[in-house]
Amino acid sequence: MKKTILYFLKRLLVMLFTLYIIATATFFLLAATPGDALTARVEKLPDIVVERLYEKYGLNKPVMERYVTTMVGILKGDFGESIIYQGQTVPNIIKEKGPVSARLGIQQMLLGVSLGLLLGVLAAVKKGTIVDWLVVALSILLISVPNLVFALMLQQIFAGTLAWFPVIGWPKENIWFGGWEYTVLPTLAGCFGYIASYARLLKASMLDVMNQDYILTAESKGLSRFEVVRYHVLRNSFIPIVTNLPMTVAMCITGSFFIESVFSIPGLGLYYVNAVAAQDVTIVMGETVIISAIYIAVVFITDILYTIVDPRIRISGGKK
Amino acid sequence: MSEKLLEVKNLAVSYHGYAGEVQSVRRVTFDVNKGETLAVVGESGCGKSVTAKSIMHLIKVPPAEIKEGSEILFNGEDVLKFDKKRLSQYRGGEAAIIFQDALAALNPTMTVGNQIIENIRHHSKVSKKEAMAQAVELLRMVGIPQPESRVKQYPHEFSGGMRQRVMIAIAFACNPQLLIADEPTTALDVTIQAQIVDLIKDLQREKGTAVILITHDLGVVANIAHRIVVMYSGKIVERGSNLDIFHHPKHPYTNALLEAVPRLDLVNKQVLTSIEGTPPDLLNPPKGCPFCTRCKYCMEICCTEEPPTEDFGDGHEASCWLYSLEKPAEDAPFTWEDK
Repeated sequence: MKKTILYFLKRLLVMLFTLYIIATATFFLLAATPGDALTARVEKLPDIVVERLYEKYGLNKPVMERYVTTMVGILKGDFGESIIYQGQTVPNIIKEKGPVSARLGIQQMLLGVSLGLLLGVLAAVKKGTIVDWLVVALSILLISVPNLVFALMLQQIFAGTLAWFPVIGWPKENIWFGGWEYTVLPTLAGCFGYIASYARLLKASMLDVMNQDYILTAESKGLSRFEVVRYHVLRNSFIPIVTNLPMTVAMCITGSFFIESVFSIPGLGLYYVNAVAAQDVTIVMGETVIISAIYIAVVFITDILYTIVDPRIRISGGKK
Repeated sequence: MSEKLLEVKNLAVSYHGYAGEVQSVRRVTFDVNKGETLAVVGESGCGKSVTAKSIMHLIKVPPAEIKEGSEILFNGEDVLKFDKKRLSQYRGGEAAIIFQDALAALNPTMTVGNQIIENIRHHSKVSKKEAMAQAVELLRMVGIPQPESRVKQYPHEFSGGMRQRVMIAIAFACNPQLLIADEPTTALDVTIQAQIVDLIKDLQREKGTAVILITHDLGVVANIAHRIVVMYSGKIVERGSNLDIFHHPKHPYTNALLEAVPRLDLVNKQVLTSIEGTPPDLLNPPKGCPFCTRCKYCMEICCTEEPPTEDFGDGHEASCWLYSLEKPAEDAPFTWEDK
């Protein structure tokens, strides 16, 4: 028990250090880009106004001083005000845009992962048949075409020609469950990648497990093919899936730029990329730190999940 | 007494790969009596394991192919013609198999107890609790200390020898009539090997199970097997009782195998010999005797024609031209160096 607590503390320290490095790297990369968020805006303004503007956002100070202010701010949980949109802060943005991206992401993931796993099982069990070939062909198609292309195609066919769904937009009320007609096309466009990657991952993993000696043992006990797959193949082949899943969750809730821009969805991904383009340093810093924190936490959760699905792995190497 | 439990007749198994057809087992015939131990001995790749898996009907078709004319009769029924339902009764219930590497042969994510009761509950309708109690008894029977707590553990928490004991417990869960042990001691160190062999021997005597012991190590076989079958490149080259094989080996290959086993009963330090060369490529099996290129007593006819099977009485047979009266009179053994 003591060992486990020590292990968690050690992991926490490493996680914080990782976050610090990410924040520092992001800061200096942003500082190194030519120009700043105000460059375009101040072109035609009198010098005195420009000076005051720079003063307001602290952009006139030396890099190292700004670095210290930013870092102290992050420690306090205060990322600062947006330079482009007055009055906007990082927590505000995440509260407003987060659910939009999260709903889209969760819908994509639920559909994509479940369909992908289903196809993966089918392809592995029916290996070498036409079913297997179709699944492989489909996943190669889905994985090689970027989802941007699918998004535009779906928009053209189902929103344009057939006019079944709205072309762009996102439900404004009842943000979690309302306005499903807006969400159909973006969800479809975004889930194809997941279908392909999970189908391939599970198929490969199952085929690997099916070649193991313990499958032969299971068969030699007289178990039916279904029982062998259900009790021996699936659990063991889910180890790589379980470890991939948290990453997919993180990817989903942090938004996707292409889908969000094609369908004009006011989500995090779109906002984030726009903020980078506009050099809105405070927002970029804040979002980067928060998204990184999510990913780091996810990696940690993955490690814990490992020990649940695979009894051979125990935290800190000790026995339970 | 000598009622036949298993008869393997003309078994031939081939694997189809990119290079062509590999004839792993080429027309093998042998039988096993009830309660008897038959050892199948031969070097790697001679078709022992494929024969074992065929008896359990565990050969994957394709890529393998069990040739027309092969028969595996278990109590008179052909295993190869079993339907799904009959096969699921047969496997685990009437015949069981244990493999060489027990770590690989046990499911890593399932407790040992669950892997045992899976077998019990598949073949008899008992509650989970009852099955678990039986599993504890089985572990006790195979000599695992503290079986009550060990049933809840995973395979990786056992040592190599203990894992093989677990495999034996799974195999004996439903009191099978036939146990196939496919190199059960190869992955273990020598002291453990002896324990495992003794365990199999004791259980066999107690339960009256017939055992097919597959191994490349004649030393393992010596004190357990009643009869021995020597396989080479997919064929049986010699068969006979334990005494026949160890004391009156007829086939040069059996002889060479015996010379490669270290012996403690000889006073003088003896030189261990190895068999030079490699077995023939089973993609293109040789026309004559498969052992001819490595044989000390090879003759002209050995390279061109398949040797006949000579009977030495009491079931002792060897396939070798040396004992045949049909061979040309002028043909005499030569050494490959002379050629």
